[in-house]
Formats: sequence, C-alpha cells, structure tokens
Amino acid sequence: MSSRNPSTPSSASRLAVATAVGTQRPGDGAVLTGRTLLRVICTAGSGALEYTHAFITAYTADHLRGAVAQRLSVGAYELLSNALNFGSVSSDIVIELIESDNMVGVRVSNDAISARISMLTEHLLKLKTNAEQTFLEELRRSVTGGIPRPMLGLARVSHEVGLTLDLQVNERRVSVTAQCRR
Amino acid sequence: MSQFSAVQVPKAETIAIQVTAPNQVKLSGTITQKDPANDLAGFFKALHTAAVSDRLSEVRADVSGLTFVNSSAIRLFVDWATWVKNERGHRYTLRFVTSRNVTWQKTSFMALMSLAKEVLAIEHVT
Repeated sequence: MSSRNPSTPSSASRLAVATAVGTQRPGDGAVLTGRTLLRVICTAGSGALEYTHAFITAYTADHLRGAVAQRLSVGAYELLSNALNFGSVSSDIVIELIESDNMVGVRVSNDAISARISMLTEHLLKLKTNAEQTFLEELRRSVTGGIPRPMLGLARVSHEVGLTLDLQVNERRVSVTAQCRR
Repeated sequence: MSQFSAVQVPKAETIAIQVTAPNQVKLSGTITQKDPANDLAGFFKALHTAAVSDRLSEVRADVSGLTFVNSSAIRLFVDWATWVKNERGHRYTLRFVTSRNVTWQKTSFMALMSLAKEVLAIEHVT
C-alpha cells in the first residue's frame, strides 16, 4: 500500500501510536469531546442517507481542509448507512460533527439489539488489530457473498480513509465515532 | 462493429457515464444510492461481455472523476474484476484510471489489485 497519502496514517502506524507510551499526541484515540458543529436527527428506516450525506459533505468541504473533509465524508456515509440498515426502528438516529482543539469527527448514535452490538464490538476489535487485513477480508467476502453480510463500510472508514473508530455503548444506545486530526 | 461502444449507458442521477470506442468507459460524479447495483451491475456486466466478444486486450475504466462512492459501489468493481479473473474464454486487462487526489481511490484499488493482480492494472492521473 505504498501509494497511501501521508496524511492518512496506516493501521499499523496508528496501532503503534496507541501502544507506544509517551508518543501519543493529545486527542489521538481518545473519546472525542468538544463543540458540536452540526447535529442531524434522522428517522430510522427513512431514506435520509443520501441527502444527509450530501449536506454533511458540503458542510465539511466548506469548513475543513480538503483531505479531512473527504475522509469525514466517507465516515459520515458509512456510519449513517450502518445505523439506518441495522439500527432499531423504534428510536431516532443522530449524526453529529464534533470538533475539539486538535481533532474533528463524525458520531452516529442509534439503538440496536444486543446481537448487533456484539457483532459491532467484535468487528471494531478486528479493525483495531489490523485494519488493512480486515479490509481485504471484507473485500474477499463481498466476492463470495459471506454470511453474515460483508462489513466493508467500517473497514473503509478505518483503513481506506484512516479515521480512528471509537465505540460507546450505554444499554441499547450505541455511538460510533470516526475521528482524525484537524 | 464494436459491441463495446454499443453498450447502452444507464441513466443514473449522480453519475455521468461515457463509453468511447474501442475500449474506454469513463465514470464521474458520485455513487451514493443505497443499491447502485440496480443501475450499474448490468451495465458493467454488459461491458465485460462486449469486451470478451470484441476480443479486446484491455478495457480502460476511468474512475478518476468519481469523487465519492459507497461500499456497495466498491463491490461492483470487485465483481467486475472477478468476472475477468474467472473468464475462461478471452481474458483482457482491466485498467482502472484513478486519481491521486481522491482519497477513496488510493487504497481501494490497491486492495483490489491484491485480489486480482493477474487481470488488473492501475494507472494514476494527476
């Protein structure tokens, strides 16, 4: 993967950053807290994906550096798509764009059943361990039609655009944040 | 007559598609619809079938102007590469023309290359 943009850290280097005590920069890998730039509430099961994504893409393109905006656009689409596809229809889905001093990220929150939360937790762990390998596995599974369905979206977010994923669970409420340095 | 250039181009809201004889297809815009296979899977399959019929040595798929695609669209490119790889008759090289300035293209096509390197070529522009 030699053609990777230097501004997009590889999974290996991010893992190395996370494990090398003293080399972690402020904000890397931490739960993103800060100013909410925008917050959109979507009805579960609705067709909100395309126009919400278009809005967030336009907003980030106007407010953030080009490369960062592109990365967050992919993150916003895939996180929201997952929430709309797999979230509970009994509660709203919330997508937020959040910035701190050093970081910026997109967070999607939705309710989910416990089996889905377990699957998500396991998948994120795999991505954290080796995002590139997981991305390739999901690509291969998309050829063979794996069961359960290939989960290429989060693998893209982690490997392709190099966003750090963070999962928070509070009972049935799930929040997934994809963030990078500003 | 070239069957490749006679392939009917689907109408899709966010994508502009141009097929040029003898072997080039150019896609630009974005692919954001939930299931892009409805518009594009049949089109890609028709291009593949035509390329085999025309006994083309190479098909150039210029995606450099595709600024955003969702993961379902990436699966369509994987499918196309798989059809070429599994082709028992005439096999051609599927050359993706990509842009260095579009983030998603850098890693996706490199990964795709690792799955079907015997039939794929990647060319970078800009």
